[in-house]
Amino acid sequence: MSDPALGRPRASAIADDGDALRFCSTCAFSAACLSQGFDKASLNDLHVLVEHVGPFHEGEHLFREGDAFTAIAAVRAGTVKTYVLDPAGQEQVLGFFLPGEVIGLNAIHHARYPCNAVALDTVMLCRFSFPKMAMLATRLPGLQAQLFRLLSQDIGKAALLAGDYSSDQRLAAFLVSLSRRHAERGFSPSRFHLTMARTDMANYLRLAPETVSRVLRRFQDEGLVQVDRRELEIVDAARLQALARAVLRD
Amino acid sequence: MNAIPPFDADLLRRYDGPGPRYTSYPTAPQFSSAFGESDFREAAKLSNGDPIPRRLSLYVHVPFCFSPCFYCGCNRVITRDHSRADVYLTRLVREVAMVAPLFDRDRDVVQLHLGGGTPNFLNASQLGEMMESLSRHFHFSSSPKRDFSIELDPRCVGSSDIEALAFLGFNRASLGVQDFDPVVQAAVNRIQSVEETLAVIDACRKHGFRSVNVDLIYGLPAQTAAGFGRTLDTVIAARPDRLAVYSYAHLPQLFRPQKQIDASQLPDPEAKLGLLQLAIEKLSLAGYRYIGMDHFALPDDELSLAQEHDGLHRNFMGYTTHADCDLIGLGVSAISHIGDSYSQNPRDLPAWEAAIDNGRLPVWRGMMLWADDVLRADLIQQLMCRSEIDIAALEARHGIHFATYFEEDLQRLQSLAADGLVTIEATRIRATARGRLLLRIIAACFDRYLHQPRSEPARFSKMI
Repeated sequence: MSDPALGRPRASAIADDGDALRFCSTCAFSAACLSQGFDKASLNDLHVLVEHVGPFHEGEHLFREGDAFTAIAAVRAGTVKTYVLDPAGQEQVLGFFLPGEVIGLNAIHHARYPCNAVALDTVMLCRFSFPKMAMLATRLPGLQAQLFRLLSQDIGKAALLAGDYSSDQRLAAFLVSLSRRHAERGFSPSRFHLTMARTDMANYLRLAPETVSRVLRRFQDEGLVQVDRRELEIVDAARLQALARAVLRD
Repeated sequence: MNAIPPFDADLLRRYDGPGPRYTSYPTAPQFSSAFGESDFREAAKLSNGDPIPRRLSLYVHVPFCFSPCFYCGCNRVITRDHSRADVYLTRLVREVAMVAPLFDRDRDVVQLHLGGGTPNFLNASQLGEMMESLSRHFHFSSSPKRDFSIELDPRCVGSSDIEALAFLGFNRASLGVQDFDPVVQAAVNRIQSVEETLAVIDACRKHGFRSVNVDLIYGLPAQTAAGFGRTLDTVIAARPDRLAVYSYAHLPQLFRPQKQIDASQLPDPEAKLGLLQLAIEKLSLAGYRYIGMDHFALPDDELSLAQEHDGLHRNFMGYTTHADCDLIGLGVSAISHIGDSYSQNPRDLPAWEAAIDNGRLPVWRGMMLWADDVLRADLIQQLMCRSEIDIAALEARHGIHFATYFEEDLQRLQSLAADGLVTIEATRIRATARGRLLLRIIAACFDRYLHQPRSEPARFSKMI
């Protein structure tokens, strides 16, 4: 028997970090519960749905295209890449998921995962059984609203790079988006580690790998960013945001 | 700040002794045979994944020499059989063909260095074949700032050789001289005339080489202040752009060729220090600047300029103006530094040959650096290139609290501070003018491997 999608739970399946009010500092759902003022009992209901799974090691798959959909998962640590293979067998990167972000949402409709998900480094997940979560959402309006929010975000993200944008605009938008997502989780918006390889970044942005490096080097020469190996520092956020505006539409 | 530091006999006497020169940290004795071919491939792949992959620096080792210089501690094979060059070259080309595809094509080669042994053991057409292979498999930078250098033994440079080297793209040369004193030359088995040496320097200039370096050694058998002084005068008159003045360390149990040296002829420690003092005085007077660790350069040389603009770097090949490159070592005994890994090819020719013949990458040993190694390497690099440690910069880059993290190291540093080698301030640790000739002693305070309890045989005296 193969492993269940999104991994096999550890012996102790119940999430056990965090305190009574907040399960996990990066949990995509904890804020939803807290903002609705749920008491410990309802928090415990949610708690019961959560299984900590992992670690998944670099290159290990969390699920593959066509696997039966049973659960969504929040990334607790590491970065997850989702991708599909085109008819020629070429990989198309769909997105990257950082700690606190939720994978598997695009599987809800067809009851099968429509893409592959692979760990880019050491990944830990909070796995939520979807049938149970859907049931709980009928009792917790805050949870339902949060699910809808996540779903629409997911759809929006996929559409972003479909337009006819320049390589500068694409790369700027990518960096600004990463910066915002780090900021949302309380990490530095101006200095972060790029966990994805250049080829993945290029594939996602629909650019050649050389172009990614060339544009980044120019950004660096122009004082927008500073790159040291995989460490990225945003030096001039205003100018980078101006470049990204067309793509991010804000 | 890069004037030549004052000579301080008392200090140098007290700190004279063998120790690592920190062309790398950790130093080569830390490499382990647990690091192998697949680790090398993985390191290369990972380095391609950087958003701006580092440019490449190539080192090619040519191990052959026509005759043995007795002071030599390098990896070399003595032979007069020229056919060995062809055989070596055939395998070298195969190694290039195996290694190069591991690196993405848009990673320009900005630095190439041929070392030895004697790289010009290979004749012009053999070197041409080697360069053709390298340029076919790697992408050479077309920037005029690229550094393509070769170590030359002036005794075997033919009249048309320099022109041929320039044609192949070489623009820097490093000449071994050591000492022109005939008595010393006889004692170390390296007879080399002033005329043939100066002719090579002239030819390099005539054919557009950007810089010429000359290596000298003090502390050789039969060396005297009078003789070494004449050598310095002759060399200074030729105005090489760069000079290295190395200390001879007599370790015959480690370097077998040194057994030929009559230890009774070696200058005593006082006399040896006097030779260094002489070199420092003469170079200072002639306007040379101190770059660091035995290296001197004219004020308008790129190294001097880079030092003023904080653009100096250091790798296995010495000081360079090229910011951190991934370094690929090719040929017997060559060392690579890719991403956070070091690795080394076999030191003995048969093992290197066997690997190539079996279609394997010739990785003999190496190591992956962990966060502590990377931090200390960064610190030592700052010390070697800027003669100071910027504490805030290190704390920001590595997420540490300096005083806590380096508590033991700082204790070790106290006696050096008491001796006036360093000043320790809240924001920076600076080598004083006195301390700048002893950078490796300061660096050694931060070498974790020197100070941890030993669980294995002594590292700096191990025979293979």
